[in-house]
Amino acid sequence: MISVTPKVLASDPEQLDLNNLSPEQVALGINNLNLYYGDKQALKNITMSIPKGQVTAFIGPSGCGKSTLLRCINRMNDLVDSCRIEGEINLHGENIYNKHVDVAALRRQVGMVFQRPNPFPKSIYENVVYGLRITGVNNRRVLDDAVEKSLRSAALWDEVKDRLHESALGLSGGQQQRLVIARAIAIEPEVLLLDEPTSALDPISTLTIEELINDLKKQFTVVIVTHNMQQAARVSDQTAFMYMGDLIEYSDTNTLFTAPLKKKTEDYITGRYG
Amino acid sequence: MKTWFKSGSPWVWLSAGGVSISLISVLGLLWLIASRGLSYFWPSDIYQFDMQDQAGNKSTVIGEIYDREFIPAEQLAHADITLAPGTTTVERLLVKTGNRELVSLDFRWLLVPQITETTTPEELVVIERRTNGNFYGFIEELILDGQLVPQSKLPELVSRVEHFQEQIDALQKVDIGAINYQLERLRLKERKHNLDKTLTAEVKADIHGQMATLKSEYQQLESKLLALREEIARDQLKVRAMDGQVVTINFEDILKVTFNNQLGLWDKTGVFFSQVAAFVVDEPREANTEGGVFPAIFGTVLMVLLMTVIVSPFGVVAAIYLHEYAGNNALTKILRIAVINLAGVPSIVYGVFGLGFFVYMVGGSLDQLFYPENLPSPTFGTPGVLWSAITLAILTLPVVIVSTEEGLSRIPAAMRHGSLALGATKVETLWRIILPIASPAIMTGIILAIARAAGEVAPLMLVGVVKMAPNLPLDGNFPFLHLDRKFMHLGFHIYDVGFQSPNVEAARPLVYATALLLVTIIVALNMTAVSIRNRLREKYRMLEH
Repeated sequence: MISVTPKVLASDPEQLDLNNLSPEQVALGINNLNLYYGDKQALKNITMSIPKGQVTAFIGPSGCGKSTLLRCINRMNDLVDSCRIEGEINLHGENIYNKHVDVAALRRQVGMVFQRPNPFPKSIYENVVYGLRITGVNNRRVLDDAVEKSLRSAALWDEVKDRLHESALGLSGGQQQRLVIARAIAIEPEVLLLDEPTSALDPISTLTIEELINDLKKQFTVVIVTHNMQQAARVSDQTAFMYMGDLIEYSDTNTLFTAPLKKKTEDYITGRYG
Repeated sequence: MKTWFKSGSPWVWLSAGGVSISLISVLGLLWLIASRGLSYFWPSDIYQFDMQDQAGNKSTVIGEIYDREFIPAEQLAHADITLAPGTTTVERLLVKTGNRELVSLDFRWLLVPQITETTTPEELVVIERRTNGNFYGFIEELILDGQLVPQSKLPELVSRVEHFQEQIDALQKVDIGAINYQLERLRLKERKHNLDKTLTAEVKADIHGQMATLKSEYQQLESKLLALREEIARDQLKVRAMDGQVVTINFEDILKVTFNNQLGLWDKTGVFFSQVAAFVVDEPREANTEGGVFPAIFGTVLMVLLMTVIVSPFGVVAAIYLHEYAGNNALTKILRIAVINLAGVPSIVYGVFGLGFFVYMVGGSLDQLFYPENLPSPTFGTPGVLWSAITLAILTLPVVIVSTEEGLSRIPAAMRHGSLALGATKVETLWRIILPIASPAIMTGIILAIARAAGEVAPLMLVGVVKMAPNLPLDGNFPFLHLDRKFMHLGFHIYDVGFQSPNVEAARPLVYATALLLVTIIVALNMTAVSIRNRLREKYRMLEH
């Protein structure tokens, strides 16, 4: 019922035509996705393509379904008993909701970082190598390399390199969140889902994380949920605005914030509700 | 007044009062059992009372003052004892006079008005003996190897006897005990071959050969033992009791000789500690009313440790199933309520269950299957330390399940999600994240289980505890840990000494001492568990931001 507005700006070479992406450009294809919590429908017929190597932001008022949609991408909604999903999400041309899909393997391809930092009560080192140990990697040299590489990618290496074997719980909130990002990228996923990653952090840590997101898109496809519109404007290439389970508007960030096509989008970004 | 109520301070006072009452009762209880129990070990002064009764007969009583009380004068009038007119109450002393071979009672009451003189002669001696309790009196003669020797040789003699006694004990308990054990095993082996119809002449000859060697060894040891006994029997002590009778005491019988009235505070403290040590490491004598309680300590601790080893894995596994895998439906709720209610079942019911199910059914079947050569005398089909541990494990299972589940539900969902989002399966998340974080809660459950199990006596009386166990469940004979053996337990020991012994008055301080020891051991076990838990907590603590 809601169609995504075509938005072609031929003058900008970086700009992608979100409706007509070539298969190589698509990281995730979401197709007619409906999600129900019991009788309540939380996502209504969502169709969108998330491009590779870019940052896509989901924005919208509380309860609009943006986090729910994010959690569908790595099947974290499976943990909710009453949750029922129709439609498909394609990764490498295969529906991740197919019966024979190995959920653990999917989650290794689609990493996720949560709202509040959730380091395990282990050392910094053990936090980073957790995903690798799960897959059976125990070679000390491989693990050491992975730790350094991931912590450098997460811009945390210099701060913790001398205390890798101390408890991760001794880090500050912002450091913990970067550690969690390092933990997620240590297993080299293709897609990184960030669920309001800065909402529990102070402004300076927020800035560090935002800079980090810019670096991360060189290696990963990043999907970020945020309730902070400035953040979406700062870090993302594409933005999707959702409202009451509907995808209202999805276009490149510049257009969405400067020239929204829908009245609801305009009302939201100008602060009339939400 | 109204504002005072509104300010909430009456409630603060009320709750503070509640706390103080609990504290006072705990401290009062500890003080009572500690003071009564520890005074048992303190070497008290020995008095000599010169008495003159109603008819003018003079007598002497020697002993230590045990208790004193005031009784109404009328009570004495019934016993035909006249007092000075106007007296309403009379003080009387309970004196422990010992010398059980001379008088039938260890204790006697003395009316203070009948005492003409009280002295504490320094030569008064207390002799602690293997049989017949303490002897109070004066040393007359010392005989070494049939020769009279001066009294100054006494300490030398006592230590010489101690040396002999140690040798005798080692021979009896260790060497002869081991030979008996091996002989019994050989006998059973022969019987097993017989039952299996594999008893060839060759096997039989072999077994009998081994038996003959053991028997000759046994005879050698026995003659050695007899020689030692004979040597020790030649040392004697002649002592004079309070009524002038001279009694001969063999040194063999003597455990300790002290001159309590000569001891200063420092010496008394030394005697006190050596008595405490003896109480902890010695075996009971005289139907448990004297000596130490070592087998009971050992039995209690071993049984509790076995129980912990059994209950922990089962409780944790059950809690994990209930919390992580069982669906959140009516059946789970009923199961959970059932588990909680199990904690309320009276412990004697568990004892009955343990006897009927474990001892007779499981143990009986085990005997049929694995120990047919022993029958009709049962091996596992009789109460024993294993069945006690299992019965108590079932008794404490709900405690472990409930606190483990509580711990599991306190773990933030973010931890699980974090692990699952990294591609871990549910089992991997459980092993690597959930269980380590829940370990302090599991330890709390184990602490509560230990506290409950260590104090439980009623079910044990049905499934394994005895008044006197000849052997410890752990010794030097293969397979070292004998789970089928019966054992002694401090809780049961208290009951037995206090209420089942032939000499209740003498055993009373022992009851307090044993109770103090039981409390100390439970506190020690708990403290160990608490310190392990605190270490785990420190390791897995969650920082709040």
